[in-house]
Amino acid sequence: MKVEEAPNPLAEGLHDYRVADPAVMVIFGATGDLSGRKLLPALYNLAKQRSLPAGFAVVGTGRDDLTDQAFRKHAADKIHEFSRTQPIDDRVLAALLDSLTYVKVEFSKLEDFKTLAAKLQELDNTRLIPGNRIFYCATPPTTYELIAVQLQAAGLNTSPGFRRIVIEKPFGLDLKSARALTETLHKVFPEDSVYRIDHYLGKETVQNILAFRFANAIFEPVWNTNLIDSVQITVAEDIGLENRGSYYDRTGALRDIVQNHGLQLVALVAMEPPLAFEATAVRDEKVKVLRAIRPLIGEDIEQSTVRGQYAKGWVLGEQVGGYREEPDVAPESPTETFAALRLFIDNWRWAGVPFYIRAGKRLPKRITEIRIQFKRPPHLTFGREAMKEVDPNALTLRIQPEEGISLKFGAKVPSAGLRIRSVTMDFQYMTSFLVEAPEAYERLLLDCMIGDPTLFTRADEVEAAWMFIDPIEESWRNGRPPLGTYPAGMWGPPAAAQLLQADGREWHRP
Amino acid sequence: MTSTVKPDVSPEWHGEDVMIRDVLDALTQIRDKFARAEAGDDEHIHPRNCVMTLIGVAPSEAHEELARRTTLTIGTQHPAQAIVIREEAPIRGRHLDAWITSEVRRSEVACAWQCEIITLHVHGRAAEHLAELVDPLLVSGVPTYLWWLGTPPFGKKELVDALRVCDGLVVDSARFEEPYNSFRRMAALLKVAHHRLGIADVQWARLRPWRESIAQFFTPVERRGFLSGISEIGVDYAGQGRGNRIAAALITGWIAAALGWKLKRAAAGTGGVVVAHYEAGNRFIEVDFRPVAKDHLASGEVSAVRIGGASQGTTFRLSVQHDPVRRPALSEPAYRSLHHAGGEDDAGMELAERRAEWHRDVLHENLDSLHHTATGDPPGESRPKRPRVLTTERRRPDSTRVLLTMIEIGDGAPLRHVQQMEPEDEPALLLDLLSTGTHDDVYNRSLAAASELVDKF
Repeated sequence: MKVEEAPNPLAEGLHDYRVADPAVMVIFGATGDLSGRKLLPALYNLAKQRSLPAGFAVVGTGRDDLTDQAFRKHAADKIHEFSRTQPIDDRVLAALLDSLTYVKVEFSKLEDFKTLAAKLQELDNTRLIPGNRIFYCATPPTTYELIAVQLQAAGLNTSPGFRRIVIEKPFGLDLKSARALTETLHKVFPEDSVYRIDHYLGKETVQNILAFRFANAIFEPVWNTNLIDSVQITVAEDIGLENRGSYYDRTGALRDIVQNHGLQLVALVAMEPPLAFEATAVRDEKVKVLRAIRPLIGEDIEQSTVRGQYAKGWVLGEQVGGYREEPDVAPESPTETFAALRLFIDNWRWAGVPFYIRAGKRLPKRITEIRIQFKRPPHLTFGREAMKEVDPNALTLRIQPEEGISLKFGAKVPSAGLRIRSVTMDFQYMTSFLVEAPEAYERLLLDCMIGDPTLFTRADEVEAAWMFIDPIEESWRNGRPPLGTYPAGMWGPPAAAQLLQADGREWHRP
Repeated sequence: MTSTVKPDVSPEWHGEDVMIRDVLDALTQIRDKFARAEAGDDEHIHPRNCVMTLIGVAPSEAHEELARRTTLTIGTQHPAQAIVIREEAPIRGRHLDAWITSEVRRSEVACAWQCEIITLHVHGRAAEHLAELVDPLLVSGVPTYLWWLGTPPFGKKELVDALRVCDGLVVDSARFEEPYNSFRRMAALLKVAHHRLGIADVQWARLRPWRESIAQFFTPVERRGFLSGISEIGVDYAGQGRGNRIAAALITGWIAAALGWKLKRAAAGTGGVVVAHYEAGNRFIEVDFRPVAKDHLASGEVSAVRIGGASQGTTFRLSVQHDPVRRPALSEPAYRSLHHAGGEDDAGMELAERRAEWHRDVLHENLDSLHHTATGDPPGESRPKRPRVLTTERRRPDSTRVLLTMIEIGDGAPLRHVQQMEPEDEPALLLDLLSTGTHDDVYNRSLAAASELVDKF
């Protein structure tokens, strides 16, 4: 091994020490919502943790004609408003703002990209950056292909260092458009330079699914069809559209949540142990799961899926309007705001185990959790009467907001007689470690700077997910099954409960 | 996000001249009361959450206060049991005086938990049997850390016994009395301690930003080769004498151990500078330890680290400075030349002055011909005096807790990088150490190398 390839011996033992090589991060859409709420605050927190390397620079771009100073002011305002760590440290902020510049870029104008190229060259020279570039598309998905094409035309994909492009979900609206996007991106950037962000994968508790499964010997032996009865995944939001009406009305819950977050969670729960926690190994195993999901076709879709749309109702003690009353939503919109489905994974480990996924808006609360329901004991040693209050064992992986893991099991009620009742053993992520968990975007941005794509979605994962989703989407567009409605604040339309009742099960109340 | 349910921190229980059994009984009652109150109508009592037992041994009232404050801060963020033991306390009875303070914290997203602080005042021989004293109170299945405030009695049976029930010993070598001797004794302890025991040093946590900044410089792959090109290191520290060179020795020991250098010799030089020589293969590395007067730094604190060398024909120089301060301006300059300093502090000034000096030297070397060109006078006549070149820039008044990194590679323009050090905060430093346990191989190796160096002092 050459000296240059060996790990930095001075970094050993610096826990959480992860520092990238000096680079310029170009944010397209730098004055937009994502940049203001997530990216700039994440960069600030990385700077505060001393995780940004000397020389690191950010170039914000947008259609507005801003000066560097105006952009810095904008960034400072957003960081003050949205940073997870407060109060803001003025000196950290000042140092970060010093590294920010702004270039006006209209995606249709090649000259703007050439101006950008000149700015990047200038930063390389003044900040000892060896040509490393990260292009972050914090812009609508419809712009990704144009940005990639213009980057190529301006020669911005050929600097001497690394070049990476980051795009946000959705990665296409169906298999065809996802493939087209990938094809365009691959003309400019190789796959290992394309970072598709599904911010769920940056959440500590999502990563902890893998730690839980593969860092412990006691769970894997029971993690299969022999002992697991079913798996329930809930991705619930209590909010409505939050000014995303025009986007959401074209997308719906199935494509907005299930295709990415939902199926990613399925993959993490169901995947085989990877050889290492390393990008290729992890993503290979995830793809195998996604490809093993039994396709839903024809009548299966009507029997195994539920779609619903919220009507007016009450959420968190407040009355809210129905979906069709939301801004930028068509008055007769057929878009689903709730999706539930039952799927099976056709492999040795999961044969016959149903995975139930439900996701939606305006549900009673914001919660994401995975519940692994185990089978009942084969024999009731203590008799039916003593066991009547005992539920089957269940392991709940809570992703948000009460991050943690709980295991439900039966225990004897203290008394003279013999009565068994379910109790819960609880692990709380927030209080069990002496450190704070970073925000998902901090983790993912740093991973991207370092060049670790493990927690990003690969093209074949995206395609495998669309392959499963596309027939459902098509069937839904044809009105099969019919769109149900549910009052805001309820757990979806009645058909969602019936989906499990038909199997002799019921949804866990989170 | 947490909020205090009951801000009252007055003791929930207090006993004078009591025994540990009494403390345990009281503790059980307090826990039971809390659990039942939390359960409400629910038959199911939520299990108690606890991540560690932290024992603070306080040799004085001031230490006791610090220990109580710190453990309370930690306990209110992370469910923990804290035991604060005040040695040689002025108590009247034969046994113990004890207090139990508890504080309930309720999170918006998790179950409430109770932070318990058990304060024990002991004196006489009981203080020499700390393990027996605390063992019944320890929470099973979670690590136990012994935080010894002040200077632990290294080499004495009392400490060795206390460590029997602990997974880690936490000390602050920056606060040792007789730091030189105590530091060496601590290094010796590591050699004889049981294999489970880890030693954590708050001073090591304080050095973390330095280690990060230095490591960061060598992280880019194209700079990795510089590691084998280091030829000189300078470490400035506040205060005088060998007792104040502990942190400087730890930094040096860390680099030397990581890069496999062997200490050859150390000798006192002029002006209080101590020079150490290391060998790495067929290269020699010189390390200069220089005492500096910095009023705002505590004695022994590292003020600056400079690393220089060359690799494959490229020179490099890294300088990391703590709270760089502006040099006093010289009065009435002959003329003023503004070279952009790129910053508002000492390092920026130094760079600008270096640039200015270079201009001045070039100017001076060609002075005769330039003067002739400018004035028409014969070379050597009416030659002006050598000018002084100054740079001035304003400086932010609050440059504290700043770590300024200056990077120079080859002929390239120097690069400045400002990073923030966290405020000096005992709970945060302790958490930094305890969050990863107290078994830190890098620290152990650095401690051994620093101890070897300190021995030569």
